[in-house]
Amino acid sequence: MPLVMVTILLPIVAGALLFTLPRSDRILSRAVGTAAALATLAALLAAREAQWSVRWLARPFTAAFHFGATPVSFWIALLLGLCTACAIATTRVARTRDFVAQMLFLEGTMLGLFLARDLLVFALFWDLMLLPVFFGLVGWGEHPATAWRYFIYNFAGGLTLLLATAAFGIIYGSTDVIGRSGAHLVGAWAPWIYAGFAFAFLVKTPIWPLHTWMPPTYAALPSPMVSVVSAVQSKAGLYGFLVVALALLPQYVGEYANPLIVLGAISLIYGAVIALVQTDAKRLVAYSSLSHLGLIVIAIASGNRLALAGALVYIVAHGLFSAALFLVLGYVEEREGTRSLLHLRGLGWKNPRLAGALCIAVLAALGLPGLAGFVGELVILIGVYQAGYVWPVIVALVAIVLASAYMIRLYQDLMNGPQREDLPVRVDLTWLEGLAVAPLLAALVVLGVDPAPLLRL
Amino acid sequence: MTSPFGHADWAAILPVGVLATTALLVLVADLFSGSRPQRYLSIGIALAGTAAAAVLAARQFGHNYDAFYGGFMTGGFASVLQEIVLVATAGSVILYAAIGASQRVAGMTAIMLWSACGAMLMTGAANLMMIFLGLELLSLGLYALCGAVDRRTARESALKYLILSSTATGFLIFGSALLFGASGSVKLADLVNPALVLNPLFSLGFGMFLIGLVFKLSLVPFHTWTPDVFEGAPLPVTAFMSVATKTGTLAVFARFIYAALPLGTSGWILLPVWVVAGISMIAGNVGMLAQHDLKRLLGYSGVAQIGYILVALAGVTPLGLRYALYYLTAYAFMNLGAFAVAAAISGEDEEGSKLANYRGLGRRRPALAAAMTIFLLALAGLPPTAGFLGKILILSSSVAAGYLWLAALLIVGTAISLYAYAKVIRVMYGREEDDVHDCRPFVPLAWASAAICAVAVIAMAFYPLTPSNVLPLVR
Repeated sequence: MPLVMVTILLPIVAGALLFTLPRSDRILSRAVGTAAALATLAALLAAREAQWSVRWLARPFTAAFHFGATPVSFWIALLLGLCTACAIATTRVARTRDFVAQMLFLEGTMLGLFLARDLLVFALFWDLMLLPVFFGLVGWGEHPATAWRYFIYNFAGGLTLLLATAAFGIIYGSTDVIGRSGAHLVGAWAPWIYAGFAFAFLVKTPIWPLHTWMPPTYAALPSPMVSVVSAVQSKAGLYGFLVVALALLPQYVGEYANPLIVLGAISLIYGAVIALVQTDAKRLVAYSSLSHLGLIVIAIASGNRLALAGALVYIVAHGLFSAALFLVLGYVEEREGTRSLLHLRGLGWKNPRLAGALCIAVLAALGLPGLAGFVGELVILIGVYQAGYVWPVIVALVAIVLASAYMIRLYQDLMNGPQREDLPVRVDLTWLEGLAVAPLLAALVVLGVDPAPLLRL
Repeated sequence: MTSPFGHADWAAILPVGVLATTALLVLVADLFSGSRPQRYLSIGIALAGTAAAAVLAARQFGHNYDAFYGGFMTGGFASVLQEIVLVATAGSVILYAAIGASQRVAGMTAIMLWSACGAMLMTGAANLMMIFLGLELLSLGLYALCGAVDRRTARESALKYLILSSTATGFLIFGSALLFGASGSVKLADLVNPALVLNPLFSLGFGMFLIGLVFKLSLVPFHTWTPDVFEGAPLPVTAFMSVATKTGTLAVFARFIYAALPLGTSGWILLPVWVVAGISMIAGNVGMLAQHDLKRLLGYSGVAQIGYILVALAGVTPLGLRYALYYLTAYAFMNLGAFAVAAAISGEDEEGSKLANYRGLGRRRPALAAAMTIFLLALAGLPPTAGFLGKILILSSSVAAGYLWLAALLIVGTAISLYAYAKVIRVMYGREEDDVHDCRPFVPLAWASAAICAVAVIAMAFYPLTPSNVLPLVR
């Protein structure tokens, strides 16, 4: 079996096999899950150059199960493998076995999406990756109603993606086009096809005003799953813009750049302002994501080479720090039983390691030089300015200042301040939890000091 | 005395004949089985006969059979549809293993097989008489089957179906008479005459004929009987009606529009049908939203699914027909699978049709819940199922044929339907720890049927079997 397929099928098969384990054995499920995620990571590293293809449809257009990493998707897939392994290692939810299985399904389906070289396969995995999250919301979410919001919004996007893919296939004759140079589509239908793709990608990213499913979903999901969803699944839309919209319909991305930049700028400011007043820690990070991803949308819409390079750095950086943030907030919530900024204070005095981990993640999120987030923001801003868009740069700078405000507030309210006497003392970050967060934080530092491997693409 | 029909004629209807004889065998075997009810004997004989007929029908594929002076044509298009009817029959008969107390099922099984014969005749019917013959054979059996349990809703269902379906048949037969009056022939082949279009008799007859078909397909605005009849009828009968009736009627419709329409008229004369299909996709899916009964839910779902299949036929392209057949096959497996799961969790009184009884099924019966999830995902058109690929193919063919508005309506309808299907999934996997009485222990046949359907639904997504040479013929 080709290595690329092993990468995709390994987590899915492992997830299915988990159901043969005893239902109540938490440690074993977690160990098996983590091992499967790490094995996937290893297979992915080995399969960097590999490709595999088998014919699927010959009519009405050719389509193939064609998999293989592109330079862009390799990094996102790596991020996915890392985040999943870290998240599963410290999962502590009810019915652990079933939850870990869903996490592995999520990893496998998202790997399928990022490694797909065929548009139809891309659309297939696009829908498929929504199901584990839906099951996560139904089975473990705080409010069942959020499952509907997530489901309806994202599948509506999936359907327009499907229609656009079908139309693309009919007109172009093949959907085996991802990562193939020179596959451009022009013509009377092309703007509509672009609209179908763009809608799906904007819902998934999400971007204002299509974002309303996102904060409740992020708040309701258990923290291991939301760390993967916010780190990687939210990048599916941006990845789609890069390899589908920009690569196949470049003319129309340029032609309709202004609406995209306006929406990105609104998300940038809107997310930041709402994050300022949130008292729910997870919602605060969710709105900060809305703000950060708005910046990436602006970078992509500007079409500038430097901005695109910065976008890739920031995609990876945002993945790393948002995964770390959600994991650490999850640890806090598990210990204290709440994640409300109103009820927690001064945890840092007795939990220095927890505070340290949160501190690095927060600093990366607010764009401190030396961490990967800064590199991404800086390169994007230079690129967007080069492309001649001055006002979005100004908006982004305002939002970055706001980011410092809400991120420092998050840290202050949780870790600093007078120690609350009525809160019982809990254990500090355990070695396993430390081990789970450390790779994410270390990667942030390494990429912050030496972002060259990402910028070179 | 010499018969007007020769050996070739009988060879063409051999699968139908085998199935009809099997029904007799079921009855005879029941006579000699003593006083103890022999549920599995009846079902076993029926399945064996169905399998034999399926083999015979498969061997006919690729050869052109033209029997009864052009009245019955099989070999390509009809063979494929006959296989679907046979799959539906087998999948429905199996459910008798799981339903009700240990009553005798020989009579019902036999009637169902004869009904299936009617549907198989419809698939190959190439003149107006044969269409009517097949339709009546199919319907007569169903009138009896709908009321075959002692339940108030079943009697209501049977009566409703009898009255409304006969009305539809009336439209159909009156339309046939007018078409005969216009063309002077009962052969569909003689309708392919451009001069007929100007004849008001033809237009009127064609319209009434279509109304009859649309009624049997349960498209809007003639769909209101479907949920009621589906809800009241016994579970196996509902499963049979949801696939076999639609297959037969769809065969007649497809043969009519592909082979019997005067040249160059298919564009405007069929427009009302496409409009009706478009409305059905929306109305059927909206109707599903508020249902608490699986049979009603699947009844409304069927209204929309037939709409999808008609979207594939819009434009009357050869490729569209292949995709329609692909989707119909997939639909047969999804629907039969869903009914098999419902039967497997039913106790004495078809509890499996109430959605409330699915609560917590994901923990009580993980395998059944997983199978049901696959069928619901397929009905909703989500991967990794045949429903997903079917939707893609249908969208492609309608976009290629220039019916973008139908493709858009299909997308909207699917978006609406997602909620209804996901609602069932949520009930099965939700966290409410309610006290639901436990389901029937283990019904091997129903479980096997669900498993086969699940495998078929997933495998079809990766191996898109769309046989060529399936254009319906007339002579």
